[in-house]
Amino acid sequence: MRSQRGSGPGAGALAGSGKSLSVSGLRKTYAGVVAVDEVSMEIEAGEFVTFLGSSGSGKTTTLMMIAGFVEPDSGVIKVGRRDVTRLAPQKRGLGFVFQQYLLFPHMTVAENIAFPLQLRGLSKAEVRRQVGQVLEMAGLEGYGRRRPRELSGGQQQRVALCRALVYRPPVILMDEPLGALDKKLRDQLQTEIKKIQRELGLTVIYVTHDQEEALVLSDRIAVMRDGLIDQFDTPRELFERPRTAFVADFLGAANFLPGRLENHTDEHSLVRLDHGALVRARPHPLAPGHRVRAAVQPGRLGLCAPADGFCTGTVETVTYVGTLVRVGVRPAGAESPIRLELPAGRAPVTGEQVGLTADPGDVTLFGDEEGR
Amino acid sequence: MAGSVLAPVPASTAPAAKSRVRRSLRSRRTRSGLLNGAPIVVYMLVLFVYPILSTLFLSVKGVHGGLTLHWYADALSGANLAVLLTTLRISAETSLISVVIGFLLAYAVSRLRPLWAGLVMLIIVVPHFISALVRTYGWIILLGDHGVVNSVLVDLHVPGAPFQLLYNEIGVIIGTTSVMLPYTVLLLYAVMRGVDRRLLAAAASMGAGRLVMFRRVYLPLVAPGLVNATVLSFILCLGYYLTPALMGGARQTVVAALIDDEVMKQNQWNGAAALGVILLVLTFAGLSLLRLARAIGASARQRGAA
Repeated sequence: MRSQRGSGPGAGALAGSGKSLSVSGLRKTYAGVVAVDEVSMEIEAGEFVTFLGSSGSGKTTTLMMIAGFVEPDSGVIKVGRRDVTRLAPQKRGLGFVFQQYLLFPHMTVAENIAFPLQLRGLSKAEVRRQVGQVLEMAGLEGYGRRRPRELSGGQQQRVALCRALVYRPPVILMDEPLGALDKKLRDQLQTEIKKIQRELGLTVIYVTHDQEEALVLSDRIAVMRDGLIDQFDTPRELFERPRTAFVADFLGAANFLPGRLENHTDEHSLVRLDHGALVRARPHPLAPGHRVRAAVQPGRLGLCAPADGFCTGTVETVTYVGTLVRVGVRPAGAESPIRLELPAGRAPVTGEQVGLTADPGDVTLFGDEEGR
Repeated sequence: MAGSVLAPVPASTAPAAKSRVRRSLRSRRTRSGLLNGAPIVVYMLVLFVYPILSTLFLSVKGVHGGLTLHWYADALSGANLAVLLTTLRISAETSLISVVIGFLLAYAVSRLRPLWAGLVMLIIVVPHFISALVRTYGWIILLGDHGVVNSVLVDLHVPGAPFQLLYNEIGVIIGTTSVMLPYTVLLLYAVMRGVDRRLLAAAASMGAGRLVMFRRVYLPLVAPGLVNATVLSFILCLGYYLTPALMGGARQTVVAALIDDEVMKQNQWNGAAALGVILLVLTFAGLSLLRLARAIGASARQRGAA
């Protein structure tokens, strides 16, 4: 998908540098503790992939192994068709953007960006031309002579980004690059990073623990937990067809409604929730009678007249968050309220009796003891 | 130092300034400030300003009264000039060698884990607290013709052994370097600890090999420490007396030893004073050189930016 506005100034010269990356059977243990466990994935050229997980999930270790800063116990890393598994970081030719920017304090902005180009033996004029090009692309014209410490955090990270992409690395790795910035700046830079990545066709591997950020940026997201990839899919698939309860919870803070699998029809599985309601869900292979949890995202639930929904409850809380309202509805006999997200215009009143509706395609079942 | 404390006392007789002083003196803060500052001002005047001024005066006082530059001419000619040049040479050699060794040592220590680094630093710094006299005699025992070093070299049948390691320039350099080393290591270690090693990782990610990383990232970041360490050990060496006197020969006479000789043996205070002032000027010159180096570094960076 190309940007509608077309390439930015000089983008043409930098475009199309992204290569594919494949990782297979990557494993790393620290003192007997498994940090990354047999991770395998194929990343296409020009794709934006995010490793999403909480701390200790192995996402950063995986990135560091791809970069070459951490040596894997086993496994193979290939950039394009080239096996780089045992190469030193400087021989891999990848780009890396660090959370702490790590600009060279003794060099100016322009010198920082020129550094990787000089290493590649480009002529002075050529270096100056390309540095000017990326500075312009990042909206940093006129900042070339400044020192990194004279720039704001957001500007510094833009410079770091320029420095990582100016030499057209086949893959750019980013380790929580926006983690140190405030929310507003983060949103702005997310948009910029995404735009540049699309225009230049960069292959980017991005590490974050912020699921919203992952959803905004990524073509595909690898949700990681305990050194394993739970699911590697497009944001939409992760949302609509979470393969594990963890994914459903991590990506949208799903409601988990405990119940018992009652029946299978041709199209749906029927679940009797513990507080009595009957809900239709996407088919699940478990036999009737098993304990299950029905997961449904707060944004995929709707309100209706009390008798029309799969269950009825009382509105307990109504919280406005910008254009959305968060609503808590407690069905009679339920331990905790069910969370909904509705457009602000459709807000119910506290104490109102309402019915809940859900498309069966949005309700995913997980066996009760199912870990993964 | 004393000057800045005394500075508030105005030379001007302008009425405005006068009333400002009077108002300032009426304030409690000024008065208690003056009271608190007085002892140190007196102390500095008596023990620092007065001796320096009197030394300055001595160095230009003629034998029969009046002012003269005779003592300076004397200090800067003939054998005395040779001694001065020897002092500069030994100081330069010592500071260079101790910075190079100090760099390697400090780098090695900075790569150790904190516990080991602390331990090694202790080993490097502790000798500094032992009397220089004891250390110098230690070196004499080690480096003598029948000392440990030469015995080992002879036993190993190293051609040319035993070497003359004492009462020549080698002996002096070994001695003074060992004295200066703790300073350079401490200075460089502090700077090296402050270097963010992840900057090197960043350089590596862009394709920089070890040599480029060192030359373009590490060295520029520790350069201020290198300059400081070189100048500091040079200045400390200028006035150093003990080791050159005990471990050097006649050709390693330094200015400090010459001053000692003039005062203790010849009772020639004027000449000694002139030599002392010259050392003081050289020390200031060293410090100015340091500032100059910093200014050049800063302007080079400015130019690099342009």
